[in-house]
Amino acid sequence: MNPNNAYNKFILHTLLITFFIIAAVLDASAAKSIDDQVKEIAYLLMCPVCQGQSVGESNSNLAHDMRDIIRKQLEEGKSKEEILAYFVNSYGESILASPPPKGINWLLWLLPGVAIVFGGLGIILFLYKSQSNKNDDKHTSENTRPEVDNDYIKRIEEELEKGDS
Amino acid sequence: MKILSTSGKVIVLIGILGLISLMGYAIFGNRVNIKTSPLVGNKAPEFTLKTFDGKDLKLSDLKGKTVLLNFWASWCMPCRQEAGALERSWQKYKDKDVVFIGVNVWDENSNALSYLKKFGGGYPHATDPDEEIQVDYGVGGVPETYFIDPSGNVRDKFTGPLTEQIIDYFVLRAQVPNNNES
Repeated sequence: MNPNNAYNKFILHTLLITFFIIAAVLDASAAKSIDDQVKEIAYLLMCPVCQGQSVGESNSNLAHDMRDIIRKQLEEGKSKEEILAYFVNSYGESILASPPPKGINWLLWLLPGVAIVFGGLGIILFLYKSQSNKNDDKHTSENTRPEVDNDYIKRIEEELEKGDS
Repeated sequence: MKILSTSGKVIVLIGILGLISLMGYAIFGNRVNIKTSPLVGNKAPEFTLKTFDGKDLKLSDLKGKTVLLNFWASWCMPCRQEAGALERSWQKYKDKDVVFIGVNVWDENSNALSYLKKFGGGYPHATDPDEEIQVDYGVGGVPETYFIDPSGNVRDKFTGPLTEQIIDYFVLRAQVPNNNES
């Protein structure tokens, strides 16, 4: 056997094995990425037959069907938005874990912020007012107390004088 | 201690009343347009089902007929409860261009066949080999029934066990041309 041929065969086998390993790794990573996408979309959808569970969390038959459909549509090349639109078309916007910020839904997005702003302002106003009232009280007591004491002392002195006389 | 002036109190009161009004509108407003399903008034999703006797059943082949699409499962007690009403209504409407289809979902084939022997009746029952029809139609449980008008639009959805009166009401509604479709 020609040593060159043996060497070429060795190189060819090594290249083929490397190619298959790379292909397998790429295939596995592609499959993983589909899994991740299914999971991501499933967590954006609420399970219609469960109490407060997303499609990603639920073990119900319906959630299982929905995950299969997400996978199938991803494999068909549909985007996340198209898949979500398909489910909204069947079940309505209540299927979405986060209601889209439009129409009356704006309230859900705005109210927490409004509550925080107004609550914060209320607390600041309350603290400010109570602090200024405290200062007013302190100021008043500092100004009036010596006068009261003076009057009192005056009266005592007058009484003492009366007693002496 | 006075935290707010009179005008401040009026502004806060108006704000609170405004928020209550908005919440009231969100809960009770626009009741007229509330639908039992987003599909109501829209084209019914196409399906090709496989009947239990091996035939294909396509929605597009039923154009011009009113279709009652009833989702059921063998383990579902309310489905048993409505089975008699469905059979009697089918007998009444089968020659009046009304097609009844039972769609078995989330079930074992053997259990479904045993159920059909007891409660099946004369109209076709089928399954979706791709198990997608229940999601296409937004089914959340069984029994659920969709009424599709002769032009192929979903006219109504009913959740829960049917009675003959309910079937009459929705079948007649589906047969009357709808002028309010979106």
